[in-house]
Amino acid sequence: MKKIISLLLVFTFGLSSCEKDDICDPNTPTTPRLVITFYDANNPSTLRPVTNLKVIGKDMKEGIIFNENATDESKYLTSGSTVSIPLKTNDNSTTYTLILDSNNPNVAARNSDVLRFNYTHQDEYVSRACGFKTTFALDPLSDGVPVSRPFVLTDGDSNGLWIRQVYVKNYKVELENETHIEIYF
Amino acid sequence: MKHTLKYISSICLLFSMFMSYAQENTATPTAKETVPVKSQTVATKSEVQEVVKPDSIKTDRYGLRVGVDLYKLTRGLYDKDYKGVEFTGDWRLTKKYYLAAELGFEDKTTDDDRLNSSATGTYIKGGFDYNVYQNWLDMENLITIGMRGGFSTFSQQLNSYKIYNPNPYWGEQPPIVDGQKYNGLTAGWLEVAMGLKAEVFNNVFVGFGVQLKLLLANSKPEGFDNLYIPGFNRTYDGSFGIGFNYTVSYFIPIYKKKIVIPTNPKTAPKK
Repeated sequence: MKKIISLLLVFTFGLSSCEKDDICDPNTPTTPRLVITFYDANNPSTLRPVTNLKVIGKDMKEGIIFNENATDESKYLTSGSTVSIPLKTNDNSTTYTLILDSNNPNVAARNSDVLRFNYTHQDEYVSRACGFKTTFALDPLSDGVPVSRPFVLTDGDSNGLWIRQVYVKNYKVELENETHIEIYF
Repeated sequence: MKHTLKYISSICLLFSMFMSYAQENTATPTAKETVPVKSQTVATKSEVQEVVKPDSIKTDRYGLRVGVDLYKLTRGLYDKDYKGVEFTGDWRLTKKYYLAAELGFEDKTTDDDRLNSSATGTYIKGGFDYNVYQNWLDMENLITIGMRGGFSTFSQQLNSYKIYNPNPYWGEQPPIVDGQKYNGLTAGWLEVAMGLKAEVFNNVFVGFGVQLKLLLANSKPEGFDNLYIPGFNRTYDGSFGIGFNYTVSYFIPIYKKKIVIPTNPKTAPKK
């Protein structure tokens, strides 16, 4: 009898202390980033990697870190064909400057374009450990009243746009495993 | 911090279990010794027979035991996030079986890393206890294993929450105050209850129990979760739960049953 009760007690405490509870699993889908994929403007069906792209948020000093292992300036650079950038979870627009060829010693060769994303955001319950996440819905394209645009593209410097066309693939930004914005250049 | 607290309370509980065992162990041998001595006196002296008779016949008292959970009651004094009370009751059905029920109210604010929520509601649990403890003479202590079905109706309020953002480029957002209230929630569960009750004064029992719980039905609110269910306690990812109580109860005897102890060869006359 004593053995049974002791065993049950040990079992109980074992369970209560092993239960995973307060750590949010990194694989849980939480607040998604906006996924941008780059395509060749001359050949729209093929991906085109960017060269040393740096993405800096408006009023931010540092760019988004794409390469965590690097220690110098190169950690802010990417030469892939896709980037994921975080949107502000407490605002309805986020503005980024996309600088192409940003480590070119010839400053005139660097080209920065400014992209402003307009959206609405919604908080969604995930779990006890993770709390809530924010999902986004880009504003629809509408010329009526009120005018709404999912994005606004402007030139960041005075040497023209390097982005030829921006296309919204997915208005709903809920998961990171799909492309939301396509950029042709 | 929570974990250390859990461990400390677990260890305390474990020790109290052993302590109570130790007490019973020391109590039983003395009882054993007195039995032969008394039967000897029966054989020799006839005038003491009046005193001895109740020993040869065991009287089982049947009735209602009502109590209160002191753990829940006193927790409200030191934990500002908790208010609760639980009344317990059991009715002795047969020699070993007791009908048992608990009725309670809880108001608990749970402060997790990312969520702060309050759950308020009442619950009822009903089932049976089986006394596995073999009492000596007229002792009425209990070591019970039992089952309960539990049901709770409650409401939950989400006080504040944090956004989980694995890429805090724009900085960590402060907690968002919400205040959304979810009413009319219900939950049902099964419990395996282990308990111990010892008579400390005449008809006054103290006891404690642990319960393993299995959540069967749980009406989750739209866009949120039941993080705490009154009576069930904290919920986990699965449907598992645990509970604990420390009770003081009073036994109201209603009728008696006499049982002749079969080990005694003498058939003593009725009182």
